[in-house]
Amino acid sequence: MLRYSLARFGAMLLTMFIIMSLSFWIIRLMPQSIFENPEVAPEVQKLLEAEMHLDKPMVVQYYYFIRDIITKRDFGRSVKLRPGMEVFKVIASRIKPSVVLNFFSLLMAIPAGIILGTIAALQRNKLADNIISFLVVIFISVPSFVFGSVLQYTFTFKIPIFPTLYDASATSFRAMFHSLTLPIIALALGPCATIARYLRGELIETLSSEFLLLARTKGLTRAQAVVRHAFRNSMVPIANTVIPMITGIMGGSLVIERIFAVPGMGGQLVQSITVGDHFLTVALLMFYSAISLVTIFIVDISYGLIDPRIRVGGGK
Amino acid sequence: MIIDRNNLPEDIRNLPESSFEIVGTEDIRDEAFRTEPVGFFKDAVSRLTKNKLSVISFWIIMLIIASSIIVPNCTGYTYSEQNVAFKNLPPKVPGLEKLGILDGTRVMTNRRKDSLNDPTQFPPGSVIEIVKEYSHSGVEMVDVKVDFYRMVGVPEGRYHWMGTDYLGRDLCTRLFLGARISLIIAFFSVVTNICIGIIYGACSGYYGGRVDMMLTHFAEILDGLPYIVVTILFMLLLGSGMVSIVLALTVTGWIGTSRLVRAQFYRFKGREYVLAARTLGVKDRALIFRHILPNAIGPIITRAMISIPGAIFSESFLAYIGLGIKPPNPSIGILLSDGQKVLLQYPYQTVFPAVLISLLMVSFNLFANGLRDALDPTQRGEV
Amino acid sequence: MSRRYKMIALLLATVVMATFLGACSKPVQEAKEPKVYRTYLTVECPILNGHDSVESALQTPHDYCSSPLYRVYPNEDGQGYHYIGDLAEGMPIQVDELNWQIKIRKEAKWHNGEPINADTIIYSWKMLLDPILANQMADFLSTGSITIVNAKEYQRQGTENTVAWEDVGIKKLDDYTIQITTAYPNTAEEVCAQFVDRSTFPVYEPYYEKGMNESRTQTTYGTTLDEWMGCGPYFFKTWEFGNMHVYEKNPDHWLADLFHYDRVEVYVVPDMNARVQLWEAGKLDYFVPDATTIDKYINDPRMVSYPSLSVDHIDINCKNPTNPISGLIEYRKAIYHAIDRETLARDIYGYMKPSGTYVNGQAGILSPSGLLYRESTYGQEVTAMVNEWGPHGYNPEMALDYMKQAFSKAGLSWDSHTVTLQWIYEGSEAEAKAAGEFLQDQWQTLFEGRIKLEVVPTAGMSATQWKKTGDDKWDLSPNLWTRSLSRKFPYMCFYYYLSTYGTAPNNYFDPEFDAQYAVCDDPAIRGDYEKILEETAKLEKIYLEKVIHVPTVQRVVYEMFSERVKLPVSRYIPGLGWGTIYGDIIE
Repeated sequence: MLRYSLARFGAMLLTMFIIMSLSFWIIRLMPQSIFENPEVAPEVQKLLEAEMHLDKPMVVQYYYFIRDIITKRDFGRSVKLRPGMEVFKVIASRIKPSVVLNFFSLLMAIPAGIILGTIAALQRNKLADNIISFLVVIFISVPSFVFGSVLQYTFTFKIPIFPTLYDASATSFRAMFHSLTLPIIALALGPCATIARYLRGELIETLSSEFLLLARTKGLTRAQAVVRHAFRNSMVPIANTVIPMITGIMGGSLVIERIFAVPGMGGQLVQSITVGDHFLTVALLMFYSAISLVTIFIVDISYGLIDPRIRVGGGK
Repeated sequence: MIIDRNNLPEDIRNLPESSFEIVGTEDIRDEAFRTEPVGFFKDAVSRLTKNKLSVISFWIIMLIIASSIIVPNCTGYTYSEQNVAFKNLPPKVPGLEKLGILDGTRVMTNRRKDSLNDPTQFPPGSVIEIVKEYSHSGVEMVDVKVDFYRMVGVPEGRYHWMGTDYLGRDLCTRLFLGARISLIIAFFSVVTNICIGIIYGACSGYYGGRVDMMLTHFAEILDGLPYIVVTILFMLLLGSGMVSIVLALTVTGWIGTSRLVRAQFYRFKGREYVLAARTLGVKDRALIFRHILPNAIGPIITRAMISIPGAIFSESFLAYIGLGIKPPNPSIGILLSDGQKVLLQYPYQTVFPAVLISLLMVSFNLFANGLRDALDPTQRGEV
Repeated sequence: MSRRYKMIALLLATVVMATFLGACSKPVQEAKEPKVYRTYLTVECPILNGHDSVESALQTPHDYCSSPLYRVYPNEDGQGYHYIGDLAEGMPIQVDELNWQIKIRKEAKWHNGEPINADTIIYSWKMLLDPILANQMADFLSTGSITIVNAKEYQRQGTENTVAWEDVGIKKLDDYTIQITTAYPNTAEEVCAQFVDRSTFPVYEPYYEKGMNESRTQTTYGTTLDEWMGCGPYFFKTWEFGNMHVYEKNPDHWLADLFHYDRVEVYVVPDMNARVQLWEAGKLDYFVPDATTIDKYINDPRMVSYPSLSVDHIDINCKNPTNPISGLIEYRKAIYHAIDRETLARDIYGYMKPSGTYVNGQAGILSPSGLLYRESTYGQEVTAMVNEWGPHGYNPEMALDYMKQAFSKAGLSWDSHTVTLQWIYEGSEAEAKAAGEFLQDQWQTLFEGRIKLEVVPTAGMSATQWKKTGDDKWDLSPNLWTRSLSRKFPYMCFYYYLSTYGTAPNNYFDPEFDAQYAVCDDPAIRGDYEKILEETAKLEKIYLEKVIHVPTVQRVVYEMFSERVKLPVSRYIPGLGWGTIYGDIIE
């Protein structure tokens, strides 16, 4: 297991490097000039471009890029969105609200989803199951921004119990949480519903298998059989869904953050691509791919831990 | 005991059938088959039709598909027919209007009270009632409910069942045409994703070892590529159209499926029937497609069914950031993103596409549930 | 369900409910703050260093928390404005025709108490014009309403050392006096006007130097609040990046009596719906509706409006290799006449004004006489000429005729050929998209189906970048670049369409047009405003004849102020605006 993990980790680093290079090339391939404001004289623009080596051929630019990373650990500075700031500092400054937002929404979503999914599976095809399934589908299908807008309208405007926007200057945790409640709820609905439906499906399948029959004949009550045996078997595909959610909490959600003015990670990637902030874009892509790779790594390891049948390496 | 026909002595080999007589026919204890043999898929279909919910959802899906083909031709409007004077009309349905809902009325807020008497702004008969009175800066203002159709001068007998958009185009026509386009995009991208995903995941999961590791790495690298950037590049190279959106959705979409298929293969390839089949000499390809895959297909089908509305979502997100299909072509994604911008002023522009996509989601979900139950031969009741 | 199971479920449910309920109760109310002015920004100000960022959002924090040499201040009667010295003491003193002396106030100091003197100002300007730093805003000091001798040359020299700092017309006479040398004669007002933009405001040397990198090409000054120092009538108390700014009154400021707010809160609200809700809930004192929300407020008595500096127009590509008629003037004339500007302005853009001419409705307002170009006899003559063709130039028959001529000139047969035109728009511009769809529909009938308009989004990049993707395969592109200097010199709005401008959005250039612009720009006639108007009219006529680009809509600015705010002026005064910074809160 250990050797396998190390091998995977090494492969992950290699993949990161490849992704970083690919991102660099793809971004630079997009025809963009970073400076194109009409009020700035063209000669000044050329000077600025020369400073960032943008007038040199791509390979030379790539060389500078790699050299700066290796010798100075300098991934560049943002040019448009936060001019002058080192790119990873820019990312760090915006992570906190997204993490808080997503963390609490998952904290609400995961237990709620597990409970609802279990109830639905156990009460299969009865009233409880039908109600839950219906709600689940509504929450998955209607886009989260609709919920966000509706919640904002109802609970900040019509019935003003929450502030309209996220209050970043709030000093107490309670006040900050107060202004973040609605976005948390809006974001929690989707994952909660996804978890509930996957768990329901998997649990139903597991409930009809033989080892569960054995557990029952041994004398375990239904609840005990479900909790001790069925859950663990159903967790495999759930892990596939939940772990990306957990590691994805740093990603932010574009529309919800925009609606509630949360200065998080959400719109950063799209914004930095649109305005042509190259260094920041590459840094963001690396950041997201790092998250993604770590996720896959954890999921694979967890497969091995949860289900002994899927230990990798087995051949034909 | 294996009899090799060619090694028997001559005279025994050529014995006629008449030389033989059956002994003991009265005592056959074995029972004849009472039922017909049923193939796997026939079995599945019969189980499916017994599930009421699946049948209903199947018909809803068919209904939506049929509407998307028929309705745009029946409304009397085309999807691009503009009439800028009639923009943002509320929905009006003949028949329901008598009940007071969907009757083409709207509450206009923040109007000056004295402007109510102005016939150029409020033609006679258009003001229905004053809902609220207040004042700003000393001027009397009202919220007034008006017959919006009459106010803008829409001729009698002209109905827009779902209202109009910012250019005066009929939303009902656009919605169903958009459904058609969205479903086509979603269908093609999902089918492509599933096909690639199955082949990729099957090879990866079945062969394991180094092949698996290489294939998985490649998939990871591809997954690490930013979906947005790739989409933008595609749009740059191929222009914005259906083809580039389908391609953009497929470039990284198959990876999730392939991972699922790979996990499923790992689960099933150690089973005894696989071992048995291999011992019998069944080739790899047949093993994958005829033996393991049908067993593994349950979650794959479910995932495919869910991906279809998911593809519509992705397309909606692309439309929101400005990368959708070319105007004036509608799609559910474009309608949703246009509607979100005016969600508070004209909510009906979001409600109808949202309801349609929810309906699609519900139906696909329930249908997928039913399909999965039907295709899984181990589903025989519960503990 | 077993007991244990039920209890776990109950516990989880309680936790969730408790969190929810805990969040529901209101936080403790603070004591009511007197006189808070609340406004918003649609995009966050990215950095506080005024030297290198072109974002307009920087002006707000600088106006409140930093001090310029001179400020604009409304007149007593609320009908105009004049300049007062902020960091400077009194008005600039004219030594001779080209030399001015500026005295620095003795009590001027930074927020941390350190004094501001001539060295501070000269250091700030030296850094602004530094050739190695290559600041984007340098032109705002070197040219504009006055031109400082050798400033531009010093800044543009790059690494060559041809122009020394000593050659630049900025000199220190003593600790509190600066002398500047201009290239042409100016008035005292023009000198004051030069220092209104935030790029000329002072920077704090210790932080500026501390943030400098080794090659001295960049500094981190102003990237966070800790790396910036203000000196204005308000302290920059809180900066939650992307969320809000809070400014608090600085009672020690030498001009403190002129400012009445105790606190200013600036929210960063990119979403229009959220802004509407804040406004409706009474949480904003200022609000600008857009095309989708203007309907609701058009009758509101709190709404004020005035013509904007922008005239939307369509750039036309004359070098598209896939479009056979793209280089022909008949094609451009056809496009010009084929646009129903009234419907476009009213319905698509939302209560804007149609415009068949290009010089905007504010041009000339800052001239000595204040006579708007559009209201002068020359401007009116051009407008009349356009209206003769049709309402704001809209004439479908003429358009059809010109297009047929274009077809025959290109060797295409009207009955069998169709030409496809690409209308490109940036994904975020809803009006550009709507306008494209509108024209797409109109031109189907107008050009008898021979012209197909394709509406193409510029996939995630700006229109300028798209045009550079090579091959020039675009045809029409809506644009709203404008030039604030046209307020003083109306002809300056044509600046971007000269063949000498490096990053021109258009690729059609005309030597006659360039020549006439040079006539307008001639320093010899600079003092004769009447002559400038006359020459501008000639320029505009050439522009219309050659159809350099196609104007469509004169934008109108709509603004709303809450009833709590008392503004120092009764109408919009270009150059001052509404003077909101000097306003007062009345409950």
